[in-house]
Amino acid sequence: MAITATSTVALVREKFPQAIVETVNFRGEETIILLPEHLVKVCAYLQRNQQYTFLSSVTAVDWLEREPRFDLVYHLLSIPNQSELRLKVRVGQRVEEQPSVPTVSSIWPGANWYEREVYDLFGIIFAGHPDLRRILMPMDWTTYPLRKDYPLTGFDLPEPHWGGQVPYTTDPGVGSQTMRTPYSRELNERRSKFTESQEPGTDEK
Amino acid sequence: MQKQDIETQYIIDDSQSLEDGKRIDTMTINMGPQHPSTHGVLRLILTINGETIVKAVPDIGFLHTGIEKTAEAKTYHQALVLTDRMDYLSPLCNNLGYSLAVEKLLGIEDEITDKINYVRVLLAELQRIASHLVWLGTHALDLGAMTVFLYCFREREMILDVFEEVSGVRMMTSYICPGGLQADLTPAFDGKVRAFTSIFLDRLQEYHDLLTNNQIWMERTKGVGILSANDAIAYGASGPVLRGSNIVWDIRKAFPYSGYEKFDFDIPVGTNGDVYDRYLVRMLEMEQSLKIVNQALEGMPTGAYRVRDLKVAPPPKWQITGSMEALIHHFKLYTEGYRPPKGEVFVRTEAPKGELGFYIVSDGTAKPYRMHVRAPSFANLEALPLMIEGGFLADAVAAIGSIDIVLGEVDR
Repeated sequence: MAITATSTVALVREKFPQAIVETVNFRGEETIILLPEHLVKVCAYLQRNQQYTFLSSVTAVDWLEREPRFDLVYHLLSIPNQSELRLKVRVGQRVEEQPSVPTVSSIWPGANWYEREVYDLFGIIFAGHPDLRRILMPMDWTTYPLRKDYPLTGFDLPEPHWGGQVPYTTDPGVGSQTMRTPYSRELNERRSKFTESQEPGTDEK
Repeated sequence: MQKQDIETQYIIDDSQSLEDGKRIDTMTINMGPQHPSTHGVLRLILTINGETIVKAVPDIGFLHTGIEKTAEAKTYHQALVLTDRMDYLSPLCNNLGYSLAVEKLLGIEDEITDKINYVRVLLAELQRIASHLVWLGTHALDLGAMTVFLYCFREREMILDVFEEVSGVRMMTSYICPGGLQADLTPAFDGKVRAFTSIFLDRLQEYHDLLTNNQIWMERTKGVGILSANDAIAYGASGPVLRGSNIVWDIRKAFPYSGYEKFDFDIPVGTNGDVYDRYLVRMLEMEQSLKIVNQALEGMPTGAYRVRDLKVAPPPKWQITGSMEALIHHFKLYTEGYRPPKGEVFVRTEAPKGELGFYIVSDGTAKPYRMHVRAPSFANLEALPLMIEGGFLADAVAAIGSIDIVLGEVDR
């Protein structure tokens, strides 16, 4: 029988009924939501027996209000069967600063960098990962930028506003030419103060 | 994390002793983010033993601009311009991937007319040729064949002229948008495309004459940077890197999108997985893309360039002065934007670099809740150490060029 996404979902339901939380079909795409403890088992089965040898991507979604907070999403592809599948795992309890999930890099070596990226941007630790360190952000960055409670421009830079956002202390005599109210020069200067001795996002030295 | 801990992560024990008392002195050098041959801001930390690379560790993130985070703050139409800037050598292909994902999320795929599909295919294939021309020029330049560089850019200028004709912008066009195209084709479009297609096959033959059977080229690229088929799949390599390793896989054939099933084209596949095979795959792909462009040009249907659904695509500008509904739709679309239903999609397309995927999660509001881009160069770059470890330092340059990475999409 040909392996398709729907047949795979049915097979996983049959073989690992305790692992599945839910399955979703939206716009023709099949998603299986798994329990974190069974993730590696199901992935190994899919990679070995169902020929889902190509891991397209590992990523995460931060649902700030929800518990568990994060959705870890794995996109699988089976090249011989031309079939695609999505696996999801929900992790992150309210008290956990850095939720932990087992790594799949032993099943798909390509997951190595994707898991590093998820760790870097979301703070999800992958247990058993051979080399878990930051990949996109600088090495000594302390926070996790793609989380929903991380502001768009970071914690140290002023919020983007029209005129006046400069990374150095401005000369009080000069100021920005764009705002003309009496209060504006003061406002600009306050917003332009930038701690020169510290890289944004790193620990105070 | 202590500063000291950070630095020791990259250091490999630089002096190993062997049993018979001999010592291998390796040296850890930096092929820094600023380097003419790294095709962008890629840093490679190489541990070399003489000329042989013992270990290679890529360090990326120098071009990280937070596109995924920014997209969460923009409406779907605004986020389109962000997609141009990821793989900046093939912006139209990024736009196409994004537009297909948003259209799937909205559920308006059936309303995309044939005209829209043909134009999208035509432009995407022209963009593929343009991207491969840059690859060819820079790759050859790195390996010393400097003549090829300007020839490729001369041809690419003609393609950029086509884009300028149709959208007003040479590179970051954002012309392919969710809902169709930003504007209709101009009368001069046909002429400009034909001006390119009529000469390109001969020019392609010129490049073949210069490189394909060139003794020096073959010695520098054959047997270099080999990636086995199993490794390629295991690491998620896609596009010409995967096809060069003898795997027949092209998303345009496997999961056809935007009407690709109507076009007749072949997929070149290599055998050995070395730099030469990837080179030939891309050269032949350019020929196949030209074939598709010609077919699209001949068979161009007439029709709307934009979906009729006014809740998604704004009405034509001339209607705004006459119709109140048109004005209101225009206003609402450009200030608030359309709201797709809750859900998520993952749409993959065959970009020039490989499998470009857009994973968009919608929570019912006008802004994407999460946009993740599966960049082909990210996975292809992950496979780089496999290709260069054990080879010579000069072969690393050949290998980096052959995987055709664009750091804009690696780092996003």
